[in-house]
This record gives sequence, structure tokens and C-alpha cells, in this order.
Amino acid sequence: MEGSCSLIRRVYLTLYNWAALVGWFQVLYLAVKTLKESGHEGVYDAVERPLLLAQSAAVLEIIRYSFFGMKEALGSAPSWLMWLRYSTFLVLYPTGIASEVGLIYVALPYIQKSEKYCIRMPNKWNFSFDYFYAALLVFGIYVPGGPHMYSYMLKQRKRALSKSKRE
Amino acid sequence: MKVNVVSRSGKEIVKGGIHLSDSATVADLQEAINQRTKNFYPERQRLTLPVQPGSKERPVVLSSKKSLKDYCGGSSDNLTLVFKDLGPQVSYRTLFFWEYLGPLIIYPLFYYLPVYKYFGYKGDRVIHPVQTYAMYYWCFHYFKRIMETFFVHRFSHATSPLSNVFRNCAYYWTFGAFIAYYVNHPLYTPVSSDLQMKIGFGFGIICQSANFYCHILLSNLRSPGGSGGYQIPRGFLFNIVTCANYTTEIYQWLGFNIATQTVAGYVFLVVAALIMSNWALAKHRRLRKLFDGKDGRPKYPRRWVILPPFL
Repeated sequence: MEGSCSLIRRVYLTLYNWAALVGWFQVLYLAVKTLKESGHEGVYDAVERPLLLAQSAAVLEIIRYSFFGMKEALGSAPSWLMWLRYSTFLVLYPTGIASEVGLIYVALPYIQKSEKYCIRMPNKWNFSFDYFYAALLVFGIYVPGGPHMYSYMLKQRKRALSKSKRE
Repeated sequence: MKVNVVSRSGKEIVKGGIHLSDSATVADLQEAINQRTKNFYPERQRLTLPVQPGSKERPVVLSSKKSLKDYCGGSSDNLTLVFKDLGPQVSYRTLFFWEYLGPLIIYPLFYYLPVYKYFGYKGDRVIHPVQTYAMYYWCFHYFKRIMETFFVHRFSHATSPLSNVFRNCAYYWTFGAFIAYYVNHPLYTPVSSDLQMKIGFGFGIICQSANFYCHILLSNLRSPGGSGGYQIPRGFLFNIVTCANYTTEIYQWLGFNIATQTVAGYVFLVVAALIMSNWALAKHRRLRKLFDGKDGRPKYPRRWVILPPFL
């Protein structure tokens, strides 16, 4: 079971990191493209949506990585950083999840109509992909997944902060 | 002797401990714990020797066949053991039966029943010969697995946690439906050459037969009493690769995919190969650790783990 847990963790981290890369790259690409085509005024409007998403994730990442950095460099992290790491999620998880869910919801009619990223049968590899239904599936994962992750983090928080108090 | 049974956080599981004769076995202790704790039947109990706090070593798990004094070390009249509840357990046979039954039933549903009209595909569908052969191949495969579960395999542990039933069934049943959907699809495109189909299924059948023979060889390494244990597998492909059973299983799925050519089938092949490689590495390492060549034990021979020439 531990083996499959670390496999799942590796797969998740791989996907998460690549997704973060894609998200930020999209922001950069849109920013540069809009800049070239219409000048700097239009840039924020073009990148606003993916940017908000990437920013939420980035704030969490800054805290997480400085925590790990300190721990590796000094052997332990200052208690205020520990507190930050286990407390900022209280605000950032709901905002991050809400913005992702909101974005998907707003985009759904467009996804369905435009048939973007869809692969249809028949084809040589007997494969199909419907972006609309995939988005709905992601939706269906977020709705139970969000609260579950949040309560898991609450539990982690209680454990980590009480352990540091005891030390 | 007196045995103190504590939880991993130090709390006493059995108040006052358990008193047993000095020649008692771990199984006797497990029975006694069951008597005192009602819900925790022996298969749910994991008993380990305490580890020093901060030690990175894996705790020593007590084997139910051994006697308690084997784990006593110095003092033979007082022993403290750490208890973990493994949760409700089911027999491996039950687990395997349910996880394999799903694909066996779900796949023919997509073949025989007009399910595609609910996905928006009206009208009749033409069934290509390869789709029929694929259905027979698939169903034979899972039928074989169920038969082996009841008549061939000898398991190292009697039980598995109940939660694994849900996890494993989700895996097998979802992938079964995923593949069945595409292979039986009204717009399914067969591979361009009949020869490719024949090579695929032919190779698959050869590998399934080899896989069956591997299972027979493995089951003969253990006695029918169900006492588990590990031996060095020998003969046939085991002379070259530790987990020849997984190797043949992976290749037989490759045969199926060569014949049917779907992304879904290949995804399943990759995921299954990854899972089996994980198991194979663990088994290979366990055998090498157990058969280290010391104290009269044979030394585990140099072999591939699962997929020569990669691993």
C-alpha cells in the first residue's frame, strides 16, 4: 500500500508541476502576444483569468518552498514560517478552488459549442476525447475533492502546530 | 510470561496485559487478544517489536507461526508489543473474485447490448470479426484468472484489507469499461492487416499459456496448508527473470493491444506494467535479502527483475 501511495504521489506531483508550468507559460504567452498585437493596455485583460489561477497556486508555493528551503539549510524552520505554511491554506485553498471551479463553469458553454481539443471517432487509434465531458468530470472531482483536501489540511495543521508547540 | 500490548501512541490496548505460558506461539497471543478486544480477530492484528524513538528502521513484524520467546531477546517473562489494527479484512480469494468478475461481465455488456445508443449513436452497428475474437479473448482471460484464484494460487497472506476491495474493483472495473467501450464501439476501426490481428491474438494466447504454467510453478513452491513462505522460483522462464508471471502477463496484454489497437488498451497496458514492476521490484529485493548465501541459505541467483533488458 505504501508503494502504491508513493507512486500516486509521484504521478500527482508530476502532473501538478507540469500543469503549473503550462499555466504560467500560458500567462507569459498571452502577455507577450497581446503586447505585440495591441500594446500594454490590453495585456491584463488577456491574462487575467489564467493569471489569477496561477497566482493563487504561486503564493502557496512560495510559502511551501521557503519552508522546505529553511528546513534543508538550517535543519529546522522558524515557527512563524511553520505557522504560515499551515495557515495560509485556510484562505488560499477556498479562493484557489473557487476560482478554478468558477473558471470551468464559466467556460463550459464555450467548450461545448467550440468542440475545441476534441478528438472524434473513427480514427486509426480508436480513441476519442470530449473536452466538455472531461471538464464536467474535473468538476465532479473538485466538488467532493475540495472539502476533503481542506479537512485533510486542517488535520495536518493540528498535528504539525501542536507538535511544534510541544518541542 | 506477561505480554503488554500497546498502541503505536503508547496507549495500553489490553488492560493489565496478557498472561501466557512460556511456550506460547504468536498465534496463541493473537487468539488471546481477540478474546479480550472482541472486534480484533487475528487477521486484523499487526504486532511489532517496539523500535527506539527516532530510529529509521522498519519495525519487526511478528509471524504468527513462531513462538513468543523467539522475540523475547533478554528478559523472557515480560514482553511489550506494539499493536496496529489493519482494519476489516477479506480473504484474498474474495478480493480477487470481485475484482475479476467486473471485467468478465462488463465487457460483454458493451458487446451484446445496444449501449451505444445511450451515447448518441443511433442505428445498427456492424461487428467486425476482430471485435468478436477480442471479446472471447478478454473473457477467457478473466475467467482464467478467477479459476486460478480458486484452484492454483497459494497466497503468502490469508487476507487483505477490505478497503482494497473498493480500490481494486474501481481499477479493474473502470479500465474494463474504458477498453470495452472503445473496442466494441460502432465506429471502431480494425487494424489494417488481418495478419496483425492474428499475430496479436496468437502471441497473446501463447503468453497466457506461459503465464498459466508460471502460476503452476509458483504454487508448487508452497505447501497446500497455506503456510506461505518464500522460495527461490526455478524452471522455465524463472531461470531468467524473477517475476516471469508478471512478464508473461504484460506481454499477453501487448498481444491483445496489437490485435485491437486502441489507446485505452495501451494505457491499461502501461499502467498495469508499472504496477506489476513495483511489485516485482519488491519481490526481487525480498528474495535477494532472504537468500543471501549465509548460514547455509542458498544465494539468490542473478536474474532480471521483470522486463529484460530494461529491468
